[in-house]
Amino acid sequence: MTRRAAFTAALALASLLALPEAAWAQTKLRVFSGGQNQRPDLMRQLFDRYQKANPGISIEIETGGSTSELQRQYLSTVLNAKDPAIDIYLIDIVNPAQYYGAGWLEPLNAHLGDPAAVLKPFLPVYTSSNVVEGKLAAMPAFADAMFMYYRKDLLDKHKVAEPKTWDELAAAAKKIQAAEAGAKLQGLSIQGAPIEGAVCTFLLPYWSQGKEFNDATGKLTLDRAAAAKGLRQWLDLVDGGVIKKNVAEVKTGDTVNEFKAGQAVFAINWSWAWDRFADDADSKVKGRVGVMPLPAMAGGKSATCVGGWQWAVSAFSKHKAEAAKLVKYMAAPEASKFLAMEGALLPTSAPLYTDADVVKSVPWFKDAANVVVAGRSRPLSRDYGQVSDIIRTTTSAVLARTKTPEEGVGEIGSRLGRIMR
Amino acid sequence: MAMTQPSLLDRLRDPSEKTLGVMLLAPAFVLLALIVVYPIGKLIFNSFFDLRLSGGAAAKFVGLENYLLVFQDTDFWNATKNTVLITLITVPGALVVGLGLAMLANLPFKRRWPVRLALLLPWALPLSFAGLIFAWFFHTEYGVINDVLRRLGLEDPAEPTMWLLKPAWGFAAICLTIIWKTSSFMALILLAGLQMIPKSLYEAAEVDGASRWQQFWGITIPMLMPSIVVALIFRTITALQTFDIPYTMTKGGPGNATETLAMLIHKTTIDYLDVGYGSTLAVCMFVLSLVITAFYLKRVGQSA
Repeated sequence: MTRRAAFTAALALASLLALPEAAWAQTKLRVFSGGQNQRPDLMRQLFDRYQKANPGISIEIETGGSTSELQRQYLSTVLNAKDPAIDIYLIDIVNPAQYYGAGWLEPLNAHLGDPAAVLKPFLPVYTSSNVVEGKLAAMPAFADAMFMYYRKDLLDKHKVAEPKTWDELAAAAKKIQAAEAGAKLQGLSIQGAPIEGAVCTFLLPYWSQGKEFNDATGKLTLDRAAAAKGLRQWLDLVDGGVIKKNVAEVKTGDTVNEFKAGQAVFAINWSWAWDRFADDADSKVKGRVGVMPLPAMAGGKSATCVGGWQWAVSAFSKHKAEAAKLVKYMAAPEASKFLAMEGALLPTSAPLYTDADVVKSVPWFKDAANVVVAGRSRPLSRDYGQVSDIIRTTTSAVLARTKTPEEGVGEIGSRLGRIMR
Repeated sequence: MAMTQPSLLDRLRDPSEKTLGVMLLAPAFVLLALIVVYPIGKLIFNSFFDLRLSGGAAAKFVGLENYLLVFQDTDFWNATKNTVLITLITVPGALVVGLGLAMLANLPFKRRWPVRLALLLPWALPLSFAGLIFAWFFHTEYGVINDVLRRLGLEDPAEPTMWLLKPAWGFAAICLTIIWKTSSFMALILLAGLQMIPKSLYEAAEVDGASRWQQFWGITIPMLMPSIVVALIFRTITALQTFDIPYTMTKGGPGNATETLAMLIHKTTIDYLDVGYGSTLAVCMFVLSLVITAFYLKRVGQSA
């Protein structure tokens, strides 16, 4: 007995002595994983799995910044100081160009291979957003996109087909609004307040004419006539009573709340809104919501704004090879599937949208696939903060009718022409 | 020679009047240098550099280029115009409202404290809260102002006024909010001034047959002048730095119709991460405040 106790004690002591040494031998990777919306809880579970499979690695999470802008501001100061403390960071899809241009991230070509081959399994948008000057700047973590939500029940009731063009949408909305006159329905809810969503409000009708905002190098290729036509179309929808008059006051949350309260036939919003419509206790549209690709301008094709987060390796990391390996793991389809099933975060590759397990836990993803494949990335620029600010304030001013579409587009063109060249 | 010269230790132990003065001032001086002189110096230093945190490039000395850019920058002139306009409207506005409130609070009530407490409340409220509250008041659909107008039949429910989406109305709404928020501070200072005016002056005026109006212009205003000047200087300086209320009410919109200098500086440095140009803008605002305050002190100070 005593001998056994002594042996156990000795063993415990030995392991206690050995422990710090084991910890010493480990590679510590510190990961900035965004704010609560980027689900650090789920990321932690994936990291735990990775740690279990790779005993030499320990992973710490750092969170911060509730919005993409706040995260960018924080990381810009950290990286500007060439701080090696963070090895991997999760960045918004609009940011790889800025970080690459600044020399803040390790190009992943040497670690993961040729960008075209590495990104092949993923959604097409990533070859434009995550590859900068032929270098693989970041790997996809999860996607997000602007969706056209609609009231399935109302469209069925009034025998209206899913509109394919904006004109059809206007006609459909007007028909339903007239038939449901007592309900004070809005036809379509979009975001016109000077927030990030307004950048997409500007780009959606422009892209849907088959136009490009910038080329692969990030140079501005704005077709002013098409851009003005796009903005003019929103104003026509306002004049037609489809969009409400104070659209320049509408923020993302307003669209969610109004659609949830059954006050809108169509609504454009990010993918996370789906859960609000389907799960919130005060939702009046449970089970009556459909998702469809965004309408196009006559003669153009459907396009949407893609959002979402990417994994990038810091140029100042002391463990770049290990970090790249972890990034590869986090971008793999298994990880994306886990995030889709546990957090309803949009998958980064098309097959997952129709994957049996995914569809079982998030049935609406099968409708989302068509939308996301048509996804486009917002302008690439190392000064994205400024680019975004100029587009959204001007768009909002045009929607408030303090500027004409032509004046607004002229301003966007001349201001961005100086930044995006 | 070494004998006549006391050692440093001796001098510290038994300092002359001058040394003692220096020693006593030193901590305050060091503190001031650390929190005032260094940041302002660094700001001016940065304003000569192309220093953009978004680019990752090292700071590049550009001399006066940033200053030349400021003068061609329409956003700068627009923000300066807005800032000066806000100052010109809200400072006198707050003075008039504040004086009224102070005189009300100075009336011989039985219970003065509820009045004075009410006077304090807007002042105690953080600026951004005031901005958010008034932004809701002026909201097109959910705002109380449009609701009241609608109930009174003064507004067509189909054509509601979009207060914060029209440059002129938005500007007016911001000015109104600032006046509401700042007049209580004015009133507090003026109330203190009013209480210092001896009652005997009014009694003597009454005996001489002066009307209330004559008493106000002949006694109250001149006696209150020192307090008015102090209140005006404080208010003017804060008005030139206006940020929170327009930021929370309109974010400078529509377009940049209600953007102030402080907001432009914030946008340039924090959102655009252009620290060099942002510093230049800040130096320009600093100079502008300095000029206006100096001018003010000279003119208003003379008349006091």
